[in-house]
Amino acid sequence: MLAAALGLARAGLRAAARPAVLLQQARFEGSSTTETHPTVRPKDEVAQNQLCAFGEYVAEILPKYIQQVQVTCFNELEIFIHPDGVVPILTFLRDHTNAQFKSLADLTAIDVPTRQYRFEIVYNLLSLRFNSRIRVKTYTDELTPVDSAVSVHQAANWYEREVWDMYGVFFANHPDLRRILTDYGFEGHPFRKDFPLSGYVEVRYDDEVKRVVAEPVELAQEFRKFDLNSPWETFPAYRTAPETLKLEAGDKKGDAK
Amino acid sequence: MAGALKKTTGLVGLAVAETPHEHLRILYTKILAALQDIPKDAAYRKYTEQIVNERFNMVKTEPNVEKLEDKMKSGQIEEVIIQAESELSLARKMVQWKPWEPLVEEPPTDQWRWPI
Amino acid sequence: MAAAGAGKVAKAAGAAVKPIFSRDLGEAKRRVRELYRAWYREVPNAVQLYQLDISVKQGRDKVREMFMRNAHVTDPRVIDILVIKGKMELQETARVWKQRTHIMRFFHETETPRPKDFLSKFYVGHDP
Repeated sequence: MLAAALGLARAGLRAAARPAVLLQQARFEGSSTTETHPTVRPKDEVAQNQLCAFGEYVAEILPKYIQQVQVTCFNELEIFIHPDGVVPILTFLRDHTNAQFKSLADLTAIDVPTRQYRFEIVYNLLSLRFNSRIRVKTYTDELTPVDSAVSVHQAANWYEREVWDMYGVFFANHPDLRRILTDYGFEGHPFRKDFPLSGYVEVRYDDEVKRVVAEPVELAQEFRKFDLNSPWETFPAYRTAPETLKLEAGDKKGDAK
Repeated sequence: MAGALKKTTGLVGLAVAETPHEHLRILYTKILAALQDIPKDAAYRKYTEQIVNERFNMVKTEPNVEKLEDKMKSGQIEEVIIQAESELSLARKMVQWKPWEPLVEEPPTDQWRWPI
Repeated sequence: MAAAGAGKVAKAAGAAVKPIFSRDLGEAKRRVRELYRAWYREVPNAVQLYQLDISVKQGRDKVREMFMRNAHVTDPRVIDILVIKGKMELQETARVWKQRTHIMRFFHETETPRPKDFLSKFYVGHDP
């Protein structure tokens, strides 16, 4: 504490001794030196090579179902499979001696309405033995059932109920598929991209019938218009052109200060 | 078991194996038998036979359990037994699934393109 | 609480699509009839369990209306999904996981009908 105070005092002295222009220049120089600890993630060649090798290994063993294997820039191994292969692939990854992905960390879906098969189902697996993770992705649409993974991982039970509830993907052979998050009587699947942000119904307590009633949502005029521009932009007429916001590569970092 | 008697594995639900060598020998023989139903050039058979043969040789040559665990580098001997059991069930399922066949169906062209 | 009724011609469910349960329209229709029967039998129970202020006849009419709402559906897979949802709805009703409000939502008692012609829209004022 004392040392810090001293340092501050010294810096203050030095600043006082110099003219203001020089001080600014000193600051500019100080931040433009090459960084010794860059904020980008360092590339881990060893881990990446290991993941690549394992991905090739899996793809070689199960060519029937695996369509594509990739390692992302963050060292995550992803395998893209045909929907028929969910149970074989997950069982293989769980039971094979070189894989042992015993734990299903997460199961979720993504909705991309422009695709022919609009839903991606994502399985995140964890191998405690080898301390590694893998992501398995498959695809489906609203009407194509996907095989349930509950027979492989018990943890998939509630995750699949969630995906069913939120996206409307039907899982074949699920032991207990029903809603998990939405209210009874709720219609629609909220995480689909075509589900409106405001929903379809609003609820209120009605004093006449003495119960909560649901009615079609009716937005007052001021909430009906959704403006997707920045909420801070009060004077759009004075908006600066977006080109000026472009960042130059690297050499002008000092301006940020 | 040779040497000091092992009391516990330290893992919940995993009992100490009384005769690990015998147990592993049976399991590995069964795995190798199950692999006979898979075509010779299938990658799964190739790699699994390699793993199993390697471990089987260690089991045959090393009577001391602790040294065997060190050699295998795959945790305690009880865990190795579990691995062999799951490999056996997998090998039997693989015979039905036939995953060495060519790809069932190509994905639609833009299925895995991201960002769209 | 939705399922499908009769349709014209089944769009030939080719081998390309994976069926959910039913392979053709006839099988799908059989499932719909089973579900309708189950709902029909459930109505008196529900009226008694939830102490609803409706008669059994009204409840059955509502069930029929909900089924007929999807009468135009002819794709067996869509019918299957609707039957699945109807079964889940039935389970929620029969095991009293719902409350009275959820059941009565089917009847839209408190909703005022939307204005149709120009003048009534004008009187309501804020709604276009």
